[in-house]
Parts: sequence; structure tokens; C-alpha cells
Amino acid sequence: MTTAGPPTPPSPPSPPSPFLTVAATATAPPPAGEDVLLDVRDVWQKLGGNQILEGVTLQVKDRVRPGQVTGQVVALLGPSGVGKTRLIRLISGLDRPDRGHICGVRACALPAGSVGVVFQSYPLLRHHTVLGNMMVAGIANGLPREEANTKAQTLLKRFGLDQRADFFPAKISGGQRQRVAIAQQLMRQKQLLLMDEPFSGLDPAALDDVIKLLIEVAHMDELNTIVVVTHDIRSALIASDTVFMLGRERAADGHITSGARIKHQYDLVAKGLAWRPGIEREPEFRELETEVKEHFRSL
Amino acid sequence: MSTAAPAPAPVPLPTDAPASPAAASAEPGRLARIFLPNRAVDRATAIGLVALWAAVAFIVWLVSPWESLPGPGEVWRAFGSLWWEGGMGPEMFTTLKLITHALLLTIVISMVLSYLTVIAFFRPLVGAVSKLRFLGLTGLVFPFTLLTGGGYALKVSMLTFGMTTFFVTAMAEVVMSVPREQFDHMRVLGAGEVRIFWEVVVRGTLDRALDITRQNLAIGWAMITMVEGISRAEGGIGALILNQNKHFHLAEVYAVLIAILVVGLLLDYLMGVVVRVLCPYVSLDRVAR
Repeated sequence: MTTAGPPTPPSPPSPPSPFLTVAATATAPPPAGEDVLLDVRDVWQKLGGNQILEGVTLQVKDRVRPGQVTGQVVALLGPSGVGKTRLIRLISGLDRPDRGHICGVRACALPAGSVGVVFQSYPLLRHHTVLGNMMVAGIANGLPREEANTKAQTLLKRFGLDQRADFFPAKISGGQRQRVAIAQQLMRQKQLLLMDEPFSGLDPAALDDVIKLLIEVAHMDELNTIVVVTHDIRSALIASDTVFMLGRERAADGHITSGARIKHQYDLVAKGLAWRPGIEREPEFRELETEVKEHFRSL
Repeated sequence: MSTAAPAPAPVPLPTDAPASPAAASAEPGRLARIFLPNRAVDRATAIGLVALWAAVAFIVWLVSPWESLPGPGEVWRAFGSLWWEGGMGPEMFTTLKLITHALLLTIVISMVLSYLTVIAFFRPLVGAVSKLRFLGLTGLVFPFTLLTGGGYALKVSMLTFGMTTFFVTAMAEVVMSVPREQFDHMRVLGAGEVRIFWEVVVRGTLDRALDITRQNLAIGWAMITMVEGISRAEGGIGALILNQNKHFHLAEVYAVLIAILVVGLLLDYLMGVVVRVLCPYVSLDRVAR
């Protein structure tokens, strides 16, 4: 296990961008404890007059297994339109919350670029080949061209994409695009990787591959944390060690009365339902799946 | 106790399935496909269709009863006479020089203006330039003559103005419609705003910029006779056709028109080659119909 270093002061604010149109500024809260890898505290966000997020609070802590490098896979479950993607944008630093704080392992500011994000549509630059897209990610992160090339080739090989290096994105499958998008994020050591709906539209075999890939990437480093945003309950439970459920309050007639907040949390490690292959065949897993489904209906 | 009602006879459901396996494999033949809607045809068939329509057009021309339409032989002889004695070659060169000059200026001005739309401050300016396309060129001859002093400079500026207003309209739309996800993707990779601009806006829209250039070349080429007619002293294919009009040399007029059409098509083809060479990924994005 590696432990987090001492907390450093918050990063200076990034320069104003001609494309970015956010206004809110958050003052730095006290830094999170050393074992806390992601700390989302009382986050509020309004969009077009609607309160989307209302006091979202969650913490991801370092999981420790003696003698084993153990990263974290966290699932953020919630129905469509509840604000999951909005929360991803806030955690990744693309937008700023109206209220509240989001802190990483070493800093309380997570500027865009410090957190990896794999968007749902896996956007790649269509004018670059697969290798070119990897190189862009490396160079954007300050790697010299040679080093970026070497690292890109290594990652492509690791992800089984070395035969596709010279292909343009239009010529590769959806699953391959997803792997390129993940590999791009690994061109620079980022300990927090957010994935928006990585399980959607996959056949069962591809789903198994993606779950294996997520777990492999998470366990590359002790402080690695993958946050999977999804509404696929079963896949989320198989892949993750912690599950957060994002939902809204409803009146008796089913009318939504609030913005989204974390309504349920499951520690799968404490329940003995994490880090075990074939866990989905266990009766306890099925019981938990049923329980989560019940809760999901009320989100 | 109630008794069950007799079950109704099963009614066969309407189905799209073919009546027999033979019908399932009955794909329309090559000939039938060219007359059926929404069918793709192979390259050889497509070329054959173009050749067929060209032949039909030529035959119609050959047997045309209209007195005002000179026959192909007459037009061919007029073309030879204009080429060898009427200076059509040098006139065509003059026109090509003019359109190239105007097109280069249009590209530079339009690209700068279009890319500036990423900055909110410049958007009204770009919008205003785009709206100028409704002005038309005729009324602008006088102010442009005063501004440029006439002659070649006047023609270049008229053509540039005409093309720029359309170019900016199309290109600014392309830049503004770049999905936000593309910018976000580059931001989360850690790219700075200048690099994002280069990769997403400039390189990411290059194929569409070239397509717009291709369209504007056609617009400029269509305007060329009118613009060259404003000041005939420098010559050009537009001046040549207007001189033939004046003397009612009908065969010569048609010969120049056909030359304008053929050179226009050639320029369009060359632009297509440029797009394919610089943006090989474009052909992968296009789904064959």
C-alpha cells in the first residue's frame, strides 16, 4: 500500500477560457484526511432554474489489502436524468458547483485536466489515427513527442489495440473506441478516472471485458480510483467495491420535490461482496441486487 | 359455474415475410436497382448512368429543332477559332489568375473571421459580415470602384466580397456547431485552450473548411463573367463572352460557355482531390447510400 502524501495547498485558479462559461468560485475548505481519495462535500448545482444537485456528499477512501495493490472502483447509480453526468462534470473540474467543495487526494481544487474522464460517446479526434489520438493526449500533458510515442505504443499493446494504431476512429468498433478513450486517460498518471455509462449498449461478452478492464486499470496503483456512473445495477455491483445511489425526494403522489443527493450507500467490501471473481453467482449478491433494485425504483 | 366460450379460429397475422425461400433471395437485378428508390449501385453502373445521360443530352442537342441553338459541329469549330485565333487560352489564364487571387484572399479573411467566433466579443461582427450576402454585387460597383481605383483590383475585391460573405456564413456555422463534448474531451486530457483551438476548431473542421472552399470556388466561378464584364480592359473569359454576345456570335458564346463549364468542373474535381489527400478520414465518415 502506498499512502497519500501531506496535503498541499490548493492549486492556483486556471486562466479564464474563451470557451468556458462558468462563474461560481469555491473557497478552499480544510483538506481531506490522508486516506480520503475523493471528498465531495455538500455540493449544490442549479441548471436553468432547476435544482439538479442538492447537498451531494460522498467520500471515497483508500482500500487497503496487505501485500496487494488495491485501487478503488466506485459506482454511482441513479436513474436517467437524475444529475449523474452533471456530478461528473463537477468532479472533473469542467464546471464549478454553486455551493460545496470537491477535493482530491492531494488538493482541494480539481482543475480540468487533473481528473480523467471517459465520456459516454468516447469522443476521439477523427482527424487523428488511434496512435495520433494517444499522442495528442500525451503531448497535451507535457510529454516530449518521443516519450509520448513510446508510452502510447505500450498502452495500445496492453489494451490489445496495437494492430489498430494506424486506423482512424471511424474504422474501429465501439468497444475499441472505448478502450482507446480509457488508454488516452492513462497517458498521464491520473488517480481519479470518471466513466460515464461505460456499460451501455454492450453485449454480455463485451460487458465482461469492460468490467475486467475497469478492475485491471483500478488495481494498477494503490491510489487509483475509478468512478463509474451508470444505471446498470448488476454490472455496477460486480465491478465496484462501493456503491452510491443518487436520487431525489418524492411526494406521496410521486412528484419530485428536491434536487438529487446520495440516498443510499453500500460498502461491498464490508459485505464480503468485492474482489471475488464470479461473485454474481453468490446468493448474497443476488439478495443485494434485489435490494438495490428496490431502492432504485424510489430514486 | 360459467362455461368457457369456444375459442375463435386463429386468424393469420399480417406479415412482411416472403411467401417462399425463393422470394426471400430474390434481390433485384442490376438493371432493376437503378429504377428502384433508395438502392445503392456499384461504381461501374454509376459511371454507365452518367455516360448514358451525357449521350442523351448530346443526341438531344444534335437533333434540336431550335434555330437559336447552334449544332455541336458549329460550336466545335467556333471553339477552335477562339482557341487558336481569339486568344481564349490567355483569357482563360487571366480569369484563373483572378479567381485564384480572390479565392486566396477569401480563404484568409473568412477563416480568420470564422475562427474568431469562438470569442464572444467578435460574434456580432462575424454575424454582420455574414448578413452582407444579401446586398448583392451590382450596387456595390460604384463604391468599390472609388475604393480600389477600378481595373484588376476592383474585380478582385468584388469577387472576394461576394465569396467572403457566403464563406463566413457557412464556416462560422461549422465552428459554432462543434460539439461541446469535443472541447471537454480535450480539457480533461489536460490540453490548453490554444491546443484545443488548434485540434478541435482548426484541424477538426479542416475537411468542412475545404468543402466550403470548394462550394465558394463554384460561387466565384459563377460570378466571374459578371465581374469581368465590369471592366473589360484586362480581358478574361468573362470579357471574351461579353464581346461575343455583343456581336451575336452564337456559336462562339456557346463555345465559351462550355469552356467555362469544363474548367469549373475541373477545378471542382481538383478541390475534391485536395480534400481526399488532406483529409483521408472523410471517406470513412460517409456512409454509402
